[in-house]
Amino acid sequence: MKKTPTIITGTVGMDAHVIGTKVVSRALRDAGFKVVELGMQVTPEEFISAAQETNAAAILMTSLYGMAELDLKGFDEKRKEAGLGNVLLYIGGNLVIGRYDPKEIEPRFKKLGFDRVYPPGTDIQAVIETDLKPDLKARGKM
Amino acid sequence: MKKLTISNQRLDDDLLMKKRREALDTWPTGKEVDFDEAVAYQKSLPDSKIWWKVMVKLREEGRMSVFPRAGTPILEKMIELCQGLRDSGVVLIPVTTDSYTRLGQYEKVEGILQECYRTGKALLNGYPIINQGVKKTRKLVESVDAAFSPRGAGGEIAIASGLTTYEGGMTFLTWGSYSKKMTIRELAEKSQNGQRIAGWYADRGVILCTDLHGWLPGGPFPLSVNIAAMIIEAVTMAEQGQKALYPIVHCMGNMAQDMAWIKLAPRLIREYLDKFGYRDTMITGTCPAQTPLFPVAMDMGGAFAYLCYVAMVGALSRCNAVDLRSIDEAAGVPTKDTNAVSYRAAKWIFDVVREQRTEIDIKDMATEEKVTETEVRAIMDRVLELGDGDIIAGAIRAVESGVLDSPWSPNITVRDKVLGVRDVRGACRYLEFGNLPIPEEIKDFHRRKIAERESLEGRKADYYTAVRDLWSFSKGKIVGLLPFDQ
Repeated sequence: MKKTPTIITGTVGMDAHVIGTKVVSRALRDAGFKVVELGMQVTPEEFISAAQETNAAAILMTSLYGMAELDLKGFDEKRKEAGLGNVLLYIGGNLVIGRYDPKEIEPRFKKLGFDRVYPPGTDIQAVIETDLKPDLKARGKM
Repeated sequence: MKKLTISNQRLDDDLLMKKRREALDTWPTGKEVDFDEAVAYQKSLPDSKIWWKVMVKLREEGRMSVFPRAGTPILEKMIELCQGLRDSGVVLIPVTTDSYTRLGQYEKVEGILQECYRTGKALLNGYPIINQGVKKTRKLVESVDAAFSPRGAGGEIAIASGLTTYEGGMTFLTWGSYSKKMTIRELAEKSQNGQRIAGWYADRGVILCTDLHGWLPGGPFPLSVNIAAMIIEAVTMAEQGQKALYPIVHCMGNMAQDMAWIKLAPRLIREYLDKFGYRDTMITGTCPAQTPLFPVAMDMGGAFAYLCYVAMVGALSRCNAVDLRSIDEAAGVPTKDTNAVSYRAAKWIFDVVREQRTEIDIKDMATEEKVTETEVRAIMDRVLELGDGDIIAGAIRAVESGVLDSPWSPNITVRDKVLGVRDVRGACRYLEFGNLPIPEEIKDFHRRKIAERESLEGRKADYYTAVRDLWSFSKGKIVGLLPFDQ
């Protein structure tokens, strides 16, 4: 990698399901990224301040308990106000309560500012190669 | 090393009484609790509402009950939900509290609860036992003929209301699975304060039962650390006067291992309780649990099969209770109807399988039992050595040095130097031993088992093998995903 981008990881809101973000963090580190691992139960404000402090290129959030939409109310506005409009945003996991088709909820999270939305069980190593690296290159971040 | 101030000793009674009132004063409903009246009310309850007696009776009669999860905010709806469970054959009923109550945010709960009553909607994900208080919760207890257990919160409001279990002790679950920053020292101190309350009631003839969870294995991982943690929980509770407890055994999906652990856990807990002189603390049964990752919400077939697998293992092991989730677990809060179909399916298995009284004698089971027993004994020897005989001091040092360790913990103070993967038959093996004091010949056993899988898959097992294995059981496979399903 020419530049080593910094990526912020964590579970958003009050979610204690930490395994997803641990796996994501490890895979990013193994792929050569600098990772700021915030762990479980991270508020939107903490994501924003961590991204500001570290000049992060991307934020990768996970959530399993189905309440991510509530947790992210107002997040898009706040991150734009903080001057983070160009930070890449991904989210993955069990994002809403109930039985649903992951394709149906994708537009809802895109409206919240997310560039990509993933269902449970996504292969993070594949995502790094097929999505993350090209997206970062396209924005001149690596 | 810092001087240890916490040891396995009974708390002073004056200090206990002060702390009890302080805890109750955090919300107005605390005033509804009169300690002596609570003892009298507990003593007036029929046997069918007393958790430990219900468990012992089930065991004596060769029957079993689902121990489900259930909680909804409006009292009348909660009664309806619990009556629905009772109608499906459940006699061990939880009062699952909402997330805000668990965090002590009663002010916030009050506003939402009023909104629930105004709109008739369940806007909280559980029953807010503190805000509902003693009078209302007694109505729940008196409306349904079953024993009740508070989950996640409740304290003495729950006891005064006639719920007959008490969560407490050195709960590795609270610390290692739900907390981000709490240290093991903080856990030890906090838990002793809490657990003495159960002892206070026991001294007055009211026995509140406690379930032991141990250190929850976050993914496929042998249960030896978990069982060692349950032994520590049991012994520390008994010192505070607890008289009735039972192990929750986390089923990982390999039948020989699951059944071996169900046999082993109560046997070793009994042995250590006796060894420390707590012969009058009884083990009321064994409760296998549905613990690993649940199938995704859309996979209802998988959800049914999964709960039936655990019901089956419990029935074949002749347990008296099985901790099961409904088919809605991954989708959100279960309804009365999905609870009913889920637990009727479990009861069907209990009745059909258990009553056949099949003697299960699997060769692999004996091997698994021996392997885990050797591991647990080695860990416990080291814990007691580190504490110079004091089990709490030893547990603290063991966690700090990784003698007790677990993968996938959200707690940042956990060492997390260990890892598990499945072998060719789906049994959990140690891929990384960290600082666990496992004897060399047992380590070789794990290595041999993993080598078999490596030769079958044609690749070395590593961290990403463990990641793939997180999914295997949930997706209806037990020996890994690719390339086995090609």
